[in-house]
Amino acid sequence: MNDLRIINMEKRYKSAQPREENSFMLRPVRLAIREGEFFSLLGPSGCGKTTLLKLVAGLLEADGGEVWVGDENLTNVPPESRRFAMVFQQSLLFPHKTIEDNVAFGLKMQKVGKPQRLKAARGMLEHVGLSGFGSRFPDELSGGQQQRVALARALVANPRVLLMDEPFSALDPGLRVEMRELLSRIQKEFRVTVLFVTHDRDEAFALSDRIAVMGDGKLQQVGSARELYECPETTTVASFLGLRNILGGVIENGHFASTDQLIEAAVNRPLANGDYFMIIRPEALKTTESDQSGHVRIQGIVQEMKYSRGMYSLKVKAGHQFMECVLTISQAEKVAVGEPIDLFVDTKEVWFIKK
Amino acid sequence: MWRKSKPYLLLLPAAAAIILLFFGGIFDGLLKSFGYFPAIGQTELNLAAYDRLLSSDAFWKSLTLTLRIAALSSLLSAIIGALVAIALFFLNDAMKTTSPKVWHRLFQLPLTIPHLVTGYIIVLLFMQSGFVSRILAAIGWIDDIADFPVLVNDTFGWGIIFTYAWKEAPFVALMLYPVLSRIHGSWREVSRVFGAGNWQFIREVVMPVMMPAWMVATFIIFVFTFSAFEVPYLLGVTYPSVLPVYSYQLYTSGTLADRPEALAVNMILAAITILLGLVAYYFSKRWNVLKGWG
Repeated sequence: MNDLRIINMEKRYKSAQPREENSFMLRPVRLAIREGEFFSLLGPSGCGKTTLLKLVAGLLEADGGEVWVGDENLTNVPPESRRFAMVFQQSLLFPHKTIEDNVAFGLKMQKVGKPQRLKAARGMLEHVGLSGFGSRFPDELSGGQQQRVALARALVANPRVLLMDEPFSALDPGLRVEMRELLSRIQKEFRVTVLFVTHDRDEAFALSDRIAVMGDGKLQQVGSARELYECPETTTVASFLGLRNILGGVIENGHFASTDQLIEAAVNRPLANGDYFMIIRPEALKTTESDQSGHVRIQGIVQEMKYSRGMYSLKVKAGHQFMECVLTISQAEKVAVGEPIDLFVDTKEVWFIKK
Repeated sequence: MWRKSKPYLLLLPAAAAIILLFFGGIFDGLLKSFGYFPAIGQTELNLAAYDRLLSSDAFWKSLTLTLRIAALSSLLSAIIGALVAIALFFLNDAMKTTSPKVWHRLFQLPLTIPHLVTGYIIVLLFMQSGFVSRILAAIGWIDDIADFPVLVNDTFGWGIIFTYAWKEAPFVALMLYPVLSRIHGSWREVSRVFGAGNWQFIREVVMPVMMPAWMVATFIIFVFTFSAFEVPYLLGVTYPSVLPVYSYQLYTSGTLADRPEALAVNMILAAITILLGLVAYYFSKRWNVLKGWG
């Protein structure tokens, strides 16, 4: 198996001012990415995800740690010999080469003969939906098309690992969705291992088999999209994933009480006594519930209502806490800003994080 | 009407002087090269001067020498200039913290020195009784300063070629550097990820990107060295001499009868220069259609 293994990779950047020690630091990262897996590094800007990607590519020199593919140690192998490929935020096509020559660049570097590499390039261009564009120059293509060429260039040399650094962030939203679908289809078709960097949750969720959430220069949590969203391990991960209904409180003998006395509920999982955060997903909050057993009621006042894509997002003030919830249009019809509202949540759907 | 033509009218005195002196001079030279020379009583137009010139051995030797010196000078300048530009480019990359400005300035220095001064410097340095020769003799590399090879006022024209190489290489570097600095820093990363080492990067990206400017710069040097006078006059030998010097020799030979020939040399020089200029223009236009620099 040609798994990609990152073993305790770390990087320190010296700060410009000598007084301050290590202005930024990527703490040792340990990851194993399976062959053919689509793995995303998700995190806010400046969290170290691009640094990690460049360390894996060999474009940055690590201050420690190793990179392995299968049983080959690539730590001291220069990037040009790693047989990786990369797609960057900009397409970075060579303007003096035609599209075909751009795509065939990696193969040319591998000393593949001209007829063969051009044939491969044309084939790959067809896969990304650009057949017939081969003899044009990059500036004759739109941004989305250029990024497809960059994808074709990365895939044509049959790389061991495809590294992608926010490849769609410079595209407009419609195109981004289209590119996601294309990438997803092609990744499955070629069974290529992908390490994908993004700050866009939806993008990571839509594409990835597994996701690593990064923050403050370290790995926060690794898991599938559902695991991360439903069972975040820290409040940092929870809030980055958009779970902002976080209530501090105490669990005693299987019973949770929030610090502001807003919620008291039975805990339906065996958790030791102590201080906890209760996480309530916005979708888990409902306005009506026919069967109210096992549900907690939260009373509040609607502060804000926003319409987005067939749903209403509500901001509700309950005690001193603001809660976010999502309502269908029919549910929202009975609600108005400034009016009191009753929200119900199934205790099975809440999640607890130890403080 | 007045507002539209005012700028032209204001330019008229300067333009008139230029047109009169430049085109007037050329036209006068052209007429005289065709044998129209009232001072010695000739008012007929003929091709006798050209005829004599093209059948003379001295002219062909001079033309060969001129072409050889121009070709070697521009080739040498082009190669040195390109190496300097690439070196500065990688230096810039490697020295992100300390400023490489000192190096840039150093390579700009020759641009500020006139050709004539450079010619004298080369003479002082490289003639047999010159600075380099004396130093080599003093440290015992050569027994006598007469053992130093004849590099100045030599029949091959090495002195001229050295002068031009020293003067024009920085010009080539100056033309190339801005082009190279347009090379995206990330292209190096891209090419590395896709398997290109340093040399392949230079061959696949750096060279093609700088090729158009490089060719144009080399053409400019060729055309310039082909028709320049002062350096070969200072550093060349009396025979064979380059075309501009040959023309000067004919013109000042003492007999007015040689003057049509001297001016015919100039006309041929001008014709070849214009032809080369057109070729350079054609190629620069072709290369400037390079895509993707938008």
